[in-house]
Amino acid sequence: MGNTDDTRLIEQCKRGDRKAFETLLIQYEKPVFNAAFRMLNSRDDARDVTQTVFLKVFENFDHFDPSRRFFSWIYRITLNESINWLGKSNRMEPLRREVEDRGRSPEQEVDSANLSEGIQKALMSINDDYRSVIVLKHFLGCSYGEIGQILEIPEKKVKSRLYSARQLLKDALTETGIH
Amino acid sequence: MAIDQKFQDLINADIDGEITAAESDELRAFLENSAEGRDLHRDLAHLCSTLGSVEAEAPPPQIRHAIMSSVKPASVKPETPGFLQSLFALPSLKYAATFAAGVILTLSLVNSGQVSKRAFDDVTGLVGTVADPIKADLETSVAIDETKVAGIVSLRSSGSLLILDFDLMATEPVEIEADYNDSTIWFNGFAQLESSGTAVSAETGRVRLRMEGKRRYAVYLQNEGSRETTVRLRFMADGAVVHEASLDYAPAE
Repeated sequence: MGNTDDTRLIEQCKRGDRKAFETLLIQYEKPVFNAAFRMLNSRDDARDVTQTVFLKVFENFDHFDPSRRFFSWIYRITLNESINWLGKSNRMEPLRREVEDRGRSPEQEVDSANLSEGIQKALMSINDDYRSVIVLKHFLGCSYGEIGQILEIPEKKVKSRLYSARQLLKDALTETGIH
Repeated sequence: MAIDQKFQDLINADIDGEITAAESDELRAFLENSAEGRDLHRDLAHLCSTLGSVEAEAPPPQIRHAIMSSVKPASVKPETPGFLQSLFALPSLKYAATFAAGVILTLSLVNSGQVSKRAFDDVTGLVGTVADPIKADLETSVAIDETKVAGIVSLRSSGSLLILDFDLMATEPVEIEADYNDSTIWFNGFAQLESSGTAVSAETGRVRLRMEGKRRYAVYLQNEGSRETTVRLRFMADGAVVHEASLDYAPAE
């Protein structure tokens, strides 16, 4: 969905159009949930944070700066809410992943689940700033420029932070035997 | 020897597809003469490929319903409350009015403390004012997150009045049974935010509701003596139970 579509939907949301809000919800629920899950390592916490994010978005449309892009606003709220949640709960729950039926063999499912779990474990071992940049780049597919916009840091800083984050993640994955 | 920051950035940019043609030429020349650079490029490319192979987590299917049922339609919130709305925004008056409505309703339909099922078969459509959830004493609440029904049911108290506050979204007709299994507690009224859409009937120890769509309503139970009790909720769609929950009330010490 383009920025123009988002802008139009936001204008409709400001007028109380719930249908427009639902369209935004459908568009962004998956990336928001995934970002929260990768930041928190818990589906339950990710679900709660996702709900909080969308309620905050709904209540704060009037404060949205139309010169910015919607995704950078909602992803920023997602990362902030996730980091706040971690601060409040101060806990790291074990990964509870429900293996879904994707038409693969049980061995493939286990391999996929182990890979996801191993990467998640490594992600949780690096600090919030580094994890945020990895989540934005690798799980939300953001460009350097977009990451800079979301985190409100210069692109040069994005590059160096991403480089450091990858080095730390690589070391953590080597320890788990995945990399 | 450590790799120069410039080439670290170029290696990252190359892997991320954010490199210009000129930078790409520069990087290629560097990598031809740097085994360390080639190792770094290979390791980072492998890492990114590993990360890229992780499948996205699917959000819980009910999350959309839960979010949509939590956002209030703009039309529900009037910009300027009228005189009566302001008056009944006062918690004491609101509860008094609700309680009085319940008592009148009860007295007009039954001549004992118990409510017969037959008497309340026609209560459908009774319109009232849902108590403001912020002002009431919240005892407990449960979240429902099923495909066919999602939202929150709260148990609140005000003196000897227990208020079951339903804030739900159902994608198809859903029946709800609220069992309180205590013959001394009796159904004392019903109020809904919408003018129609929820059917209610009551018998000793049980209230039955039927709803569809987004609905906000309250069931009032008279609990003389403020006895400890548990309200068991059962949600049914197409005759099958889709969710069960219970709400406990314990009087303050």
